[in-house]
Amino acid sequence: MIKKFIHQFASPKTFLLQVDKFYGLIFFTSLCIYIFSIIWGLLFTPEDFVQGNSFRIMYLHVPASFLSQSLYIAMAVSSATYLIWRVKLAAYFVIAIAPIGAMTTFIALVSGSIWGIPTWGTWWQWDARITSTLILFIMYLGLISLHNSFSNYEKADKLLSWLVIVGAVNIPIIKKSVDWWTTLHQSASITLTNKPSIDPVMLYPLIGTIIGFFGLIICLILISSKNQIFIREKNKSWVKDYV
Amino acid sequence: MFNFAFNSFYEAIYMNGHGIYVWSVLIIVLFSLLVFFTVYQYKIKKIKEKLDEFN
Amino acid sequence: MNSIRKKRIYNICLVILFSISGVGLILYSLNSNLDYFFTPTELKNKTIPVDKRIKVGGMVLKGSVERISSKVSFTITDYENSVNVEYDGIVPDLFKEESGVVVLGYLKNQMVFAEEVLAKHDENYMPPSLKIVNDN
Repeated sequence: MIKKFIHQFASPKTFLLQVDKFYGLIFFTSLCIYIFSIIWGLLFTPEDFVQGNSFRIMYLHVPASFLSQSLYIAMAVSSATYLIWRVKLAAYFVIAIAPIGAMTTFIALVSGSIWGIPTWGTWWQWDARITSTLILFIMYLGLISLHNSFSNYEKADKLLSWLVIVGAVNIPIIKKSVDWWTTLHQSASITLTNKPSIDPVMLYPLIGTIIGFFGLIICLILISSKNQIFIREKNKSWVKDYV
Repeated sequence: MFNFAFNSFYEAIYMNGHGIYVWSVLIIVLFSLLVFFTVYQYKIKKIKEKLDEFN
Repeated sequence: MNSIRKKRIYNICLVILFSISGVGLILYSLNSNLDYFFTPTELKNKTIPVDKRIKVGGMVLKGSVERISSKVSFTITDYENSVNVEYDGIVPDLFKEESGVVVLGYLKNQMVFAEEVLAKHDENYMPPSLKIVNDN
């Protein structure tokens, strides 16, 4: 039954038709949520009692950092799906997500550096959180260039998937780095187990920006996967019918 | 909850000296999103054109 | 589920296990080096050469900050032990008494001569008006 389900939804054709149906809806909803929450967070929340106005960078930094890790987990899940069930669409997802993951990690690093200037008094320190995030960025770049260096797609997909799974160890390390070692970076403000240590007036727009940014990144993944499907299946008859 | 946090437009831009950091990060984020959306839309358009020629 | 898929799942688990144990061993051996700074208590239990640049972190002790022209001296504490710091330069905006700080410098005669002072803030965010209400 699982097999039937996967094979029905994992056909690139069905996927493309579904994407065309829902893309506009997802895009405009998340764009509206994102713009609304950014304006709310940047202009309509009170300043922080320690950091003053520079805390507002949080509304741009946190969604990007959150997604840089989530996208890697998504890649790892897709890789496992590809390796176990040989679902081609899953392999397309892995390489489609990688550049977007690199982009969010880049935003997380740069926004963090800029945030560090007024608050910590430095833009770069080799503490555990910052260094492990830099490693994540380099891993994304490495995975992309590895895939590009192959001319045989199937070989590239297999090697890439295995490496993504090996590299997944870095994710819990990034997540836990602020608890395991002393770092300049503060601990997590929002956790699953504890009450958030952000005041509700500041928390609600943050949740809004995370949801909005998440939706926009989903849209990017959808069009990037579409692009990947076109590249890889351009000789198939259904693609010609579709175009 | 929706009180404007600043007294004037100028204050909102300046943010007690922190404005330059906040707004530059905003520009970087929006610019990255814009570039990625444009590049992927463009790539899809190119491939579609190529496939059209092929037909 | 057929045997080929079972074998693939088994392989993936094996790879995950190996990479976790490999990275775990590396982290275990590096453990103390990964710490970004020493606390004053750790500093007390260690012998550190005079010419080694170290980082010390903790809270700025209340009432310990003294400014003489461009020089600042203060005490870093973890509420068990404390260490005195001397610094010549500009401190970050967030540097104040009873807030987090990390200094980079050299240890000499139980004193840290800092070359750089960084402010460390915690994960709590709230508006200033609420802070006053909470304190009362």
